[in-house]
This record gives sequence, C-alpha cells and structure tokens, in this order.
Amino acid sequence: MDANNTFDSDLIHAIFKHIWARRFRERERSDAIDATEAEVALGTTKKNRLASANANALKLSCELLKSFVSEAVQRAAIIAEAEGMEKIEATHLERILPQLLLDF
Amino acid sequence: MGSRVPIETIEEDGEFDWEAAVKEIDLACLKTTNASSSSSSHFTPLANPPITANLTKPPAKRQSTLDKFIGRTEHKPENHQVVSECGVNDNDNSPLVGIDPEAAKTWIYPGFVPLRDYQFAITKTALFSNTLVALPTGLGKTLIAAVVMYNYFRWFPQGKIVFAAPSRPLVMQQIEACHNIVGIPQEWTIDLTGQTCPSKRAFLWKSKRVFFVTPQVLEKDIQSGTCLTNYLVCLVIDEAHRALGNYSYCVVVRELMAVPIQLRILALTATPGSKTQAIQGIIDNLQISTLEYRNESDHDVCPYVHDRKLEVIEVPLGQDADDVSKRLFHVIRPYAVRLKNFGVNLNRDIQTLSPHEVLMARDKFRQAPLPGLPHVNHGDVESCFAALITLYHIRKLLSSHGIRPAYEMLEEKLKEGPFARLMSKNEDIRMTKLLMQQRLSHGAPSPKLSKMLEILVDHFKVKDPKTSRVIIFSNFRGSVRDIMNALSNIGDMVKATEFIGQSSGKTLKGQSQKIQQAVLEKFRAGGFNVIVATSIGEEGLDIMEVDLVICFDANVSPLRMIQRMGRTGRKNNGRVVVLACEGSEKNSYMRKQASGRAIKKHMRNGGTNSFNFHPSPRMIPHVYKPEVQHVEFSIKQFVPRGKKLQEEYATETPAFQKKLTPAETHMLAKYYNNPDEEKLRVSLIAFPHFQTLPSKVHKVMHSRQTGMLIDAMQHLQEPTFSEQSKSFFTEFRAPLGEREELDTGLRVTNDPKDLHSVRDLEVNTSQRKAKQVESPTSTLETTEKDYEESSPTHRYLFSSECASVDTLGNVFVMPVPLLFFPNVLESDNTPLPKTEKQHSCRNTSHIDLVPVDTSEKHRQDNISCKLKERFSPDGASETLETHSLVKRNSTRVGEDDVANSVGEIVLSSDEDDCEGLELSPRLTNFIKSGIVPESPVYDQGEANREEDLEFPQLSSPMRFSNELAGESSFPERKVQHKCNDYNIVSTTTELRTPQKEVGLANGTECLAVSPIPEDWRTPLANLTNTNSSARKDWRVSSGEKLETLRQPRKLKRLRRLGDCSSAVKENYPGITEADHIRSRSRGKKHIRGKKKMIMDDDVQVFIDEEAEVSSGAEMSADENEDVTGDSFEDSFIDDGTMPTANTQAESGKVDMMAVYRRSLLSQSPLPARFRDLAASSLSPYSAGPLTRINESRSDSDKSLSSLRTPKTTNSESNQDAMMIGNLSVVQISSDSRKRKFSLCNSANAPVINLESKFAAHAQATEKESHEGVRSNAGALEYNDDDDDAFFATLDFDAMEAQATLLLSKQRSEAKEKEDATVIPNPGMQRSDGMEKDAPSFDLGLW
Repeated sequence: MDANNTFDSDLIHAIFKHIWARRFRERERSDAIDATEAEVALGTTKKNRLASANANALKLSCELLKSFVSEAVQRAAIIAEAEGMEKIEATHLERILPQLLLDF
Repeated sequence: MGSRVPIETIEEDGEFDWEAAVKEIDLACLKTTNASSSSSSHFTPLANPPITANLTKPPAKRQSTLDKFIGRTEHKPENHQVVSECGVNDNDNSPLVGIDPEAAKTWIYPGFVPLRDYQFAITKTALFSNTLVALPTGLGKTLIAAVVMYNYFRWFPQGKIVFAAPSRPLVMQQIEACHNIVGIPQEWTIDLTGQTCPSKRAFLWKSKRVFFVTPQVLEKDIQSGTCLTNYLVCLVIDEAHRALGNYSYCVVVRELMAVPIQLRILALTATPGSKTQAIQGIIDNLQISTLEYRNESDHDVCPYVHDRKLEVIEVPLGQDADDVSKRLFHVIRPYAVRLKNFGVNLNRDIQTLSPHEVLMARDKFRQAPLPGLPHVNHGDVESCFAALITLYHIRKLLSSHGIRPAYEMLEEKLKEGPFARLMSKNEDIRMTKLLMQQRLSHGAPSPKLSKMLEILVDHFKVKDPKTSRVIIFSNFRGSVRDIMNALSNIGDMVKATEFIGQSSGKTLKGQSQKIQQAVLEKFRAGGFNVIVATSIGEEGLDIMEVDLVICFDANVSPLRMIQRMGRTGRKNNGRVVVLACEGSEKNSYMRKQASGRAIKKHMRNGGTNSFNFHPSPRMIPHVYKPEVQHVEFSIKQFVPRGKKLQEEYATETPAFQKKLTPAETHMLAKYYNNPDEEKLRVSLIAFPHFQTLPSKVHKVMHSRQTGMLIDAMQHLQEPTFSEQSKSFFTEFRAPLGEREELDTGLRVTNDPKDLHSVRDLEVNTSQRKAKQVESPTSTLETTEKDYEESSPTHRYLFSSECASVDTLGNVFVMPVPLLFFPNVLESDNTPLPKTEKQHSCRNTSHIDLVPVDTSEKHRQDNISCKLKERFSPDGASETLETHSLVKRNSTRVGEDDVANSVGEIVLSSDEDDCEGLELSPRLTNFIKSGIVPESPVYDQGEANREEDLEFPQLSSPMRFSNELAGESSFPERKVQHKCNDYNIVSTTTELRTPQKEVGLANGTECLAVSPIPEDWRTPLANLTNTNSSARKDWRVSSGEKLETLRQPRKLKRLRRLGDCSSAVKENYPGITEADHIRSRSRGKKHIRGKKKMIMDDDVQVFIDEEAEVSSGAEMSADENEDVTGDSFEDSFIDDGTMPTANTQAESGKVDMMAVYRRSLLSQSPLPARFRDLAASSLSPYSAGPLTRINESRSDSDKSLSSLRTPKTTNSESNQDAMMIGNLSVVQISSDSRKRKFSLCNSANAPVINLESKFAAHAQATEKESHEGVRSNAGALEYNDDDDDAFFATLDFDAMEAQATLLLSKQRSEAKEKEDATVIPNPGMQRSDGMEKDAPSFDLGLW
C-alpha cells in the first residue's frame, strides 16, 4: 500500500508505548501484591521490561490499523447512508462492529 | 579522626566561656528582639554574613566552629557586633538555613502518644546536642528520632533532614513510622534508595525536605554533590552500631564535617557495641557529644519493657552428627598433630578448638613465624592451617546446624580450591563424606530441628496461630531451607516463609528487596505467621505481634543476640528460645553473653567516665529557649510511595490531550472517560438483527467466522410467527454456550390460536407472538393461556426479559433473541410461516412491530420490542403481550446469561404470557438441568392460566413480596399489575407470571421450551381453536384472566427462580415508583431505565411523549436498577444453583448492570426504530397493543417506555395507556387493571401459599392442574435454594394483600374458572409435553 496513505508510524508507536507502559504499571502493581508468590517464581523479572517493536512491525501495524479503521468507517458509512443520515453515529458502528471484529 | 585531639582541647577551653557566652548571647538577642520588631524578617538575610565570616576565617578555626558550640560562642560576640545584633544567633544555624523564630519558641512533642519519661528526656537532650541513643529494642527509638526531626523541620523552614537506615526495608518502615508519629507532610518526605536513579535523586534533593535514605545513597550523593549539604540541619542515623570502620555512616559524617556545616546528629541503636573500644569508635565516627543509655532495668524504662523470657535449650548433638563429628575429628587430628610438630601452639584441646581460634593462631604465625622453622616449611604450615580452619568450620556447622549444611559445605570445598587438593586423597574425609551422605539419605532430622518443631507446635497450641507471630533466626541460608522444609510438614497452622538477603548463591536464590518487603507486609497482615530469617531479619524490624523468637544457632555475637531478642516483646510479652547444641556451642554462647553484660557497665551515667565525647552545635540560637508543647497531630493516612506514584500515573492526563480541540476532547470524554459508566460504550449486541445478514463491505471481505456468526444469528433470530394473534412466542433459549445450536431454544407457543380466532384479524401478531413465545412454558401457557393471558402480561415481561437479554446479550446474549425466532418457527413451522405471513398482515399492526423489532431492533431488545409490539397488537387483542413475553422468554432462553437475566427480566416484565413464556424457558432450563418438573410447570401454567387471575396476582404478590424483600414493591407491582391487567395488568400479571415462571418455571421453562413448542403448538393450536372462543372470552373478559394465569406462572417461576423473581420483584418496585404503566415498565424500567439512560438520546423523539413517563420511570428505574442489580445478582446466584439458569446467571451477574445499561443504550436505538416501525405499524396496531408493548418494554423501562410512548403517541390510546398505565389505553386494559388489582390481591393470597393457591386454582380449574402447579412449586423449591425465602416473602406479601386479594381472587377465580375450563386440558398436555420436551431441550440449549 502506499506509504503516504497510512498512519504515522510514530504515532502508532507512541500509542503502543503508552499501552505498554500502562500494562507495565499494572503488572508492577499486581507484582507488588503477589510478590510473595513471586518469590517462588523468581527470575521472571525480565518480563518487567517494556515491550518494543521494530520498524517493520510498526509499519505493518500501521497498515493493519489503517485498513481496520477505514473499513470500519466505510461500513458504517454504508449503514448511515442507507438510513439517510449524513453523519456516522455510534449506532452505525455498533451495527457493523461484530462482523467487523470477526473479519479482522 | 584526625580532629580528635584539637577538639578535645577546645572542649576544655570552652568550659569556661560557655556560660558567659550563652548569657551574653541571650542578652543580645533579647535586645534585638525588643529593639527590632522585624527581627524575624531579618533572620534569613542576616544568616549569611556570619557564614561567610566563618568560611573566611582561618582554617584552623573551622574545626572548632564546626564542631563546637563553645568555639562558636567565642566568635559570636564578634560577629554579632560586626554584623548585627541578630547575627549572633544565626551563627548557630547552619549557613544557608534560616530559622523560623516563631517555631523556635517551642518544640513539639506529640501529645497523643502516652508520654514516657525516658523518651521525653532523651528527646530533649537530642534536640540540642549530638546524641547517641542506646535504648533496648522496642522502646521507641523511632519516636525520639521522629520528634527531633519534626522539630528541626519546623525550626528550619528551608532545612533538610536526613534519616539514614541501613536497609531499604528499614527505610520504608521508618518513613511510615515517622509519618505516623508526627505527621510530617508527605509532600516533603521522600525515600531515596539505590533504586532511585541518581538524576532523579538530584532533583529530589532539591525539592524535598525530609529524606529517608540508605547510608550508601547518602554517601554517594554527598560525594557527587547532588546532596545539598549546606541545607542539612539534622541527620538521624539508625542502627548506629554499624558506624565502624569505613561504613557509609562514617564516611557521610566525615564528609559533612569536612564541608563545614553544622548539623544535629542523632544516632540510634539498641546495641552500641560489645566492647568499649567499639562504642568509643562510634562516638568518634559520629561526632557524638552525649550518650543516652537506658537498659531494661532502668527505673524509667522498666515499666515499658515487656517481659521477655529467655530460654536456652540445650540440644544433644544427636547420634548421627556425633558419628560424623568423630569422623571429622579423625581427619582433623593428623593436621593438628602436624602443626604441633611444627611447633605451633594451639594452646587448647584440639577437640574443642573453634575455627576462630585457628584463625587467630594462623595470624599469629604469620606475624611471627616460628623461629626454629625452616622457611620451606611455611607452606606446609599454612596449608595445615587452611585445612584445619575449613574442617573446624564444618564441624561447627555440623554441631549448630546439622548434617546437611555441613555436608554441603564439605562438598563445595572438595570441589575445588586448595582444600580439595589437600584432601583429595584423604581417605578419612571421603569416609566422612560418605557417612554424611548416608545419614542424609536416611532423612533423620537433626535434634535441633525436631526440638524446634516441638517448640513451635507447643507455641501455636497456646497462642492463636492467626495473631501470633514467630521469627526463627538462623545464620545460614542452608539451614533456613532445612527449617522451611521441616516446617512444611507440620500442618496448616504454621504458615512459614523465608526472609533472606538479596545475594543469590549457587544453591539458593536471594530475595529481592521488593520480595522482602512483601514478605514483611504479609507477615504483618497475617499471611504468614512464621518467618525463617537470616541475619537480615535481626535489625530494626518492627513487628509488634512477634511473641516468639527462636534462635536456631546460639553461636552469634551478643550484639546480634540482643537484636534478635529485640524482635519480640514489643507489644506483648515475648519469649526467646535459643537452641544450643551441648558442648562447644553452648559454651561459646555463655561466654559471649557474659562479655556483653560487662559493657553495659561502661555506659552507665551517660558513659562520661568511659568515653570521650565530641562537641556539637546547639543549632538553635540561645535566644530561643524552646518550650515544650504537647500537640496532637492530625496525621493523614500514610500513603505508601508506590501507590501514590501509581495514582499519579492514573490521573496523569495523556500528553496527546493537549493537542486535541475541545470538540475532540469532548468526544473522547463521551466515549471513554465518562464517569457515568459505560453509557456510550459500543455494544456488540445492540443490533442482533443486523448480524443476520452480512454487512456490506468496503475492502475487507468477510471472514469465515463472520459467516458462522451470521448463520448462528440467523438461526437464533428467525422469528417464528404464530399465526394466532395473541399466541406465542417460542422462546429460544438459545444456549449461549452452544452458539452453533443457539437456535435450539425456539419454540413457538400457540397461545394465539384462540387469540387468532379472536384476533385473527391480528393473527399475524399472534403468530408473531407464537414465534416469540417462549416456546415451552410460555408456549404451553400461551397455548392454553396464551389467548387469555399471553397478550396482556407477556409484553412487559418479555420486554424486560429482552432487556435483560440485551444486558446479557451484551455479554453474549445477542444470539438468544435470534434463536427464538428460528426455533419457534421451526417448531411452529406451520404456525410460524403463518405467523410470518400473518405478520405481514399484522405487521401493519402488531406483526410489523415484531418484524420491525426483529429486523430493526434485533438488538437484544428487539425481541422484547417485538414482543412488545406484538403485545401491542395483543393489546389490541391483549394477547400480544404474551407474545412479547414469549419473546422475552425466548431471549432469556437464548443465552444462558440471557436466559438467567431473561428469566429475571421476564419476571420483571411480568407479563403473564411473557411469564409463561419465560417460565417455559426457564423451566426448560431447569428441566434441562433436571430440576424442573415439567409437568408441574405446565400444570402450573395451566393452573396459572386458569387461575391466572388469582395466581398471577398471587404470583405478583409473590414477586412483590420478593421485591418487598428487596424493597416494598408490592404496591408497585400491584399497580403494575393493575396497569398491566389486560393491558397493563396483563403486563403486570405477565411480569409476575414470568417471574413466577422464572422462579417456578425455570425448570418447567427449560423443559417446556423444547417440548412445549411442539406439543404446545399443536395443543395450542387446538387450544386456540378450542380455546379461541375461550380466549376470546378471555380477551373480552379474561384478558385479566389470562393475565392472572400468567401471574401464577410467574409465581411458579418466581418460586423456582427465586432469584429471578426477586430480581423481577425489584424491577417491580421500580415500576411501582413509576406510574402504573410505568410500574409495568418498571420491571422493565430497571433494565429499561438503564437503557433509557442510553436510550434517551436516541429516543428523544419518543421521549417527548414519554418524557413524563420516562422521567418517572427513570426515577424508578434508577432505584429499581439498584435494587434489581442486587436482586439480579442474588437471583443469578440462586440461579447458579440451578444448572442452566445458574450458569448463565453466574456469568451474567457481574455484567448485568453493564449489560442492562448497554441494553438500554442499544434499546434506545431500538425504540427509535420501533418508533419508526411503530409509527408505521403502530397506527395500524391498536394503541392498546402498543401501550402494552411499551409496558412490556418497560422491562427495559426507559427504552421500553420511550418506545411505548412513541407507540402510544402513534396510537392515540397509547398516551392514555401511558397516562393510565397503558391499561387505560385498552378498555380491556382498564378493566383488566381493576382485575389485575384484584388479581394482584388475589395473587397476594396465592403468594401466601403458592402451593395452596395453585392447588386452589387447580381445584377451581382442575385437580390435575393443581398437581402440576404443586409439582411445579415443588420443582421450584427444589430448583431454587431461595424458594423457601421466596415463599416466606410471598407469605408476607400475601398476608398483607390477602384481605384485598380475597375479593380479587373471587373475581379472578370466576375468571379462572372460565379460563380453567378451557385451559385444563392444554395444561395437561403441556405438562406432558413439557416433561417430554425438557430433556431434548436441555441438550440443545445447554
């Protein structure tokens, strides 16, 4: 696909990192809770590293997300059009969402 | 320290000047304060000049100014004169730190802790001079430190205070302890450990004021300059006995002294040292000027000392260890002899030598080699020493820790190194090793271990294992592991964990500090009651509850022994057990204790006779004579740092938000940050109908999974349309679990046949109903009763059920509704097609609603909507409601959760038909589960139908009672019932019946679902045919009857579903709040209310009309929601006991609220659709039906109500119905309302004795039906654990309502009789069918 027509990979990466960081914090929180259990499973501390993604993976992610979003919008637009609406509403998305999710 | 000498001399010099200087200063200060009112403001500015003066003074003087107050006092007059009057005082301050003159007038002592004289005295001393506090453990050193810190915190607004503790756990412990004592604001405090990265530390050093640090961090930061030493005013050193040699404490103090800054040093320890030199070393290293020593026997301390019983238990070495020891000695002897031959004087019996003594001997040898020994032999001597040291060490291990640690050490030593080379060919050592191996494989426990276990077990026999805490100390990790292994075998009361250092050895991994802290936390909280610790547990751990300390090895220094003992006896009396092996270990223990005692003598009287002290600055100018002030602090809850940080993270606004426009932010908030919960969460189940057809795609084609989904949804949603106008819905309980076969649950009830005849006009609607009709029970009921009952009552119930389904659906439910239709269609095949076709006919009126619902609303609510719509037609005929109920039931059935919720919903919806339908699903479920007596359900259904008027009412009372249990819902329900009656009443009755059915009929429903549809359909058809007249009658006169019948069913369901019924009841209460109509819808409203929340937006159009109703409904809905939420949960739980419903319910419980809300949301669109559809179709439809539908929808109160309103609006009568409670809309409804009321009353009576009522009904109608009812009731009881409770509640309600009910009963009975005549046979048939069908359905559905 053409590279100009997709998401900014930096943005996607930032989003990913945001999510990873949040997960990381959540994990730390839960770790603190079951740290005592963790004593059994020591040496698993490496999981605490933030995940990362290499450039190609990011590119692919961008592409996937782009096609997902555009597909969602297009499908919702079809529904909206069918209803004679000019604006896509959440309900339109809801209608196509189950199948959309299964399609991806 | 090099400065020691000068200092001492200065000290001597100072003796003279001191007093005079102080006087002078005080005078001067008084003058200044009097002279200049603004002195306070001058303070900080003035502070600087003296400093510079100090700094510029010749280096020679620095020492004195720094260290000695006196020295400074000498200069003060000069400075004072030169600089200013105030300057004198400032000289005492550390250079850059201003003093707060107001604060300096007092010093604060916490008032809420019981005052201890020694603490107070020590604190007072410590405030004004560098103090070494030597207090026995557990006597509150931390309090002294905290008070001192707090006062310095007050006095020096810019000053920084450092508390150093040797380990991170201690740091964390002290930060919290200090906070809880004096409440230094947490925003000023921070803990700095090696985990904080240096750059961050540098920042924190600047921004915070109170630091809890590890000495290493402090050392590093002082050396790197990140610590703002110039601002330090107070340094507290915990566990000061470590301040020896080059430990960080000493380095820190040296560095600080070198900077020239003046600060208060407060050193805390329980064990200053075992030797005079060591204590003097600490005093020197920390620049201590006062020693405050107390021991347990001091008069001001002893009241606070808890009794600590010290027991030394002598343990025999044990046969095995003895053998090994002898072997080892064989190995040792040759080397010892050889050494002796070399002329080395080991000066003791080689039997009792300790490794330490051998070590000393070796050092001696190295320093002064034996004169007569040729140089070449030195190597031999050295190797002999090395071997002996190792061997003796192993022997020591053997005696104090057992064979295993000794063996491991030996094995390790034999692997490599000089010892291995030396011993590799030694036969004795090999034999020894072999022997140890044998002993180990025997697994014979060491005598110490077994003794320890014995002590532990005895201890926990006396003390509660939950409150008592034990610490076991051992010197070696190897034995820690041994102890852990031993502890793991002695039962539950001992919950042991290890507590060891960080370093990871070859065999044992260390514990990270995080884990250490977690261990301590859990130990405090009671997660563990035994800690097996190495030396890291010895110091500072402040665990109040420890009442037993076991020292596994006695051979430790008295210092450490004191620390170990200090872990107990803090809050209560404690006990210390020292396990010592007889022989060398015991002896050395006694020896060390003796030496420890001697040192105490030196520390008496502040140690002034034994130690040399150093001068220290007073810090507070002498102008200020701080007065003590006892203050009670209001201390905020201590927030552990980690959590605080996480909260910060949590509230952190994402950076990207700054770049968003307000509109975008608003949009985001709308969808993601809505505190009102997931109002706008995208629902996957909102539009089930849309999932029956592949959506148009843009670029991405549908996947196979999508195809599967579509197929499943098609199966689920195929609406079976019973031709009979009022008739049924087959309910599907599409088993959620079995999506593939989700369709299974459909059954069309035939109720409508009669209705058909009557409604034939609206036959389509009835068919629809039939389709929707909860196939089994509902169908059965519907078949018989359907005509009569189904139309009115079902609507509400169904709608509510649908809503619940929706809610469930949100979870997964969506398929359910779909299921209904297909199954129903299948089962009803003929009817369905007809119905469908008819739908077209009726669609104009009711059918349209159904289709529309299905198509448009297919959302979970669709079913209910359809039902409602159907109902609305029914409303016209009043039978439609039943259809809707059926639909609801079907929705319930559709998925487990859905089914559960549906059951509840159904109950809530309460439409009789719905109830019947619902019941049938539930019954089917139950049946599937095996609980349900199908026949009874049917019978009940029949009986109900017959008796419906009574029973429904009864059931409604039952529900009410249930509701009342949750809330006082009777009135509401009654109201609802009234409203539902016929139109509204029917709904109420339906609701009730659904509830009843749910409760009672869960099983029956389950059974009924599968069987009923088919059997019933035929029967229904017959019935309809036969009953058509009856139904007509019903309709005309018995709309109420039908409702009542439904109500009984509901009661049954309620009973069975107890939970469901309760939920329904809750819904009812909500309804009660709302108008009668609303009340109907209330049950639904609960759900609807949620939906409404969402719906409102969508429904706005409808809302206008509905606004009134909805507002009321919402209000009620809110309350109802709460109640329902609870009740639903309960019901779900109860259902949990039920096989089918339970599982669904359980899964659905948590999400019920969310589901409801979602469903409401989703419904909102539906309503709109409905409106549209309704608008188109409504007009055709009789307004009554619409209203009914609305009522039925009321289950999902808001959405339904909204829908209803639109419908009602569409239909002129709808508004009336809304106003009146839907009942008014239909004339019948009004009548039915009355009847319903009466029914309700009667229902109450039945409620009292459901069985009896049923029986009565049956009697009135048929004995068989009675039996069925009874059996149903029994089944219900069996099914639901809560049945009893329900009954009880029912009884109460019944009691209340009985009087009124009696009259109504009479009416209803009369009606019932009429109905009964028609119904009995169907009931019988139904019951049979139910039973038969139930099994099959179980498979399919579940």
